[in-house]
Amino acid sequence: MTRARKNGLLHLAALVGLCLVLVTGAFAHHSQSEFDLRAKVEVEGTVTKVDWRSPHAWIYVDVTDAKGQKVNWSFELPSPTTLMRRGWTRDSVKPGDRVQVAGAPARNHSAIAIANSIKDGNGKPLFTGTTQVYEP
Amino acid sequence: MNRMRGSLMMTTKRSSPVNCTSHALWPVMMLFVLVTGSVVARAQWLNYPTPGIPRLASGAPDLKAPAPRTPDGKPDFSGMWFANVPSRDFCREKDCIQEERMAREQINLGIKLKDGLPYTDWSKEQMKTRRANGGREDPHTYCMPPNFPRAWTLPQHIRVVQTPGMMVLLHEFNGAYREVYLDGRPLPVNPNPTWNGYSTGRWDGDTLVIETNGIRDDMWLDIQGSPITEAARVTERIKRPTLGLMQIEIAVNDPKAYTKPWSVTIEMALQVDTQMLEEICMDNERDTRLYTK
Repeated sequence: MTRARKNGLLHLAALVGLCLVLVTGAFAHHSQSEFDLRAKVEVEGTVTKVDWRSPHAWIYVDVTDAKGQKVNWSFELPSPTTLMRRGWTRDSVKPGDRVQVAGAPARNHSAIAIANSIKDGNGKPLFTGTTQVYEP
Repeated sequence: MNRMRGSLMMTTKRSSPVNCTSHALWPVMMLFVLVTGSVVARAQWLNYPTPGIPRLASGAPDLKAPAPRTPDGKPDFSGMWFANVPSRDFCREKDCIQEERMAREQINLGIKLKDGLPYTDWSKEQMKTRRANGGREDPHTYCMPPNFPRAWTLPQHIRVVQTPGMMVLLHEFNGAYREVYLDGRPLPVNPNPTWNGYSTGRWDGDTLVIETNGIRDDMWLDIQGSPITEAARVTERIKRPTLGLMQIEIAVNDPKAYTKPWSVTIEMALQVDTQMLEEICMDNERDTRLYTK
């Protein structure tokens, strides 16, 4: 293999790796290798708690599984600072709210995931804000 | 209080391109106040207009305006900065929560170098282990401080406070700070290693040249685990070509970690009409528990 080709492949591998991590994107403080970013979990349930603290906000959702058992899921969100810059507040989702959450599950733990999408009980996206950016 | 702080930083004797008391600009200022006034009462000051900033007719900041200068004519880097990342949505879904502005250098500081960073065999071994472990030994994961030069690329904001004798860099992550002495003192000899090392700055025309030594031996430069060691000498050459842009050439000479000196340039964009937000990582760090079964 020529050096140029080898370098090209290395760059391609790096690009693919970068694209994979950009799928979910938020690196407030960690690499996200604890989550299986290629897997997907989707649940619907009732918010039981919102933990609005750094480095990541978490929401907890009671979900009734196929066997009728209630499971309390934990979903990691970006940092509260990131969320606030996008218009969210600590009250944007409250205990008692009905939500549909999609995300990537933790590799080694059940009922824990990083959230990619949160909708209300009617399927309306709750998270559409973007950070105001002025480009120099 | 915020108003006073912003005014102090952004209004300088020589370069303030806008006289805010000029009657000709009152319509613009009134328009801006009307546009932004509805959000002033919101939580925090995330949409509160930064005073002393030249603005376009739309009320948006004129980021192409000349960079401000201090009373003694030096470029003034004071202000709030974030990696210059285009405002595009990284997500594939409209309601994706994880859209985040992220410098590519956060993952690989040498990503723009044709051949990447020139790792020594020792570094390659270090990175091999770090990669194999999914990056879980990254000090940042455990809420350790936002060490420079890595700190420039992290997804938190940096406030630069420049005085004639010292530049202070405040970092949102863990409420961290870094001092850069501008009073002509020499770098320390055989200092006790620290997260940010010891920094002094001197002027080369309009470029501030910051030299740093005394960095700890176990630092990471990026998420993929590029090392930097106690043997390193870091030189940052900082320019501010316009009001809205700061360019930082980071040169690293670390014979333990790299086969030759190398440098990369990263860009920071001025952040206006917003504020620093506290982000104390240890408050609720809950990811490291997920590494174990």
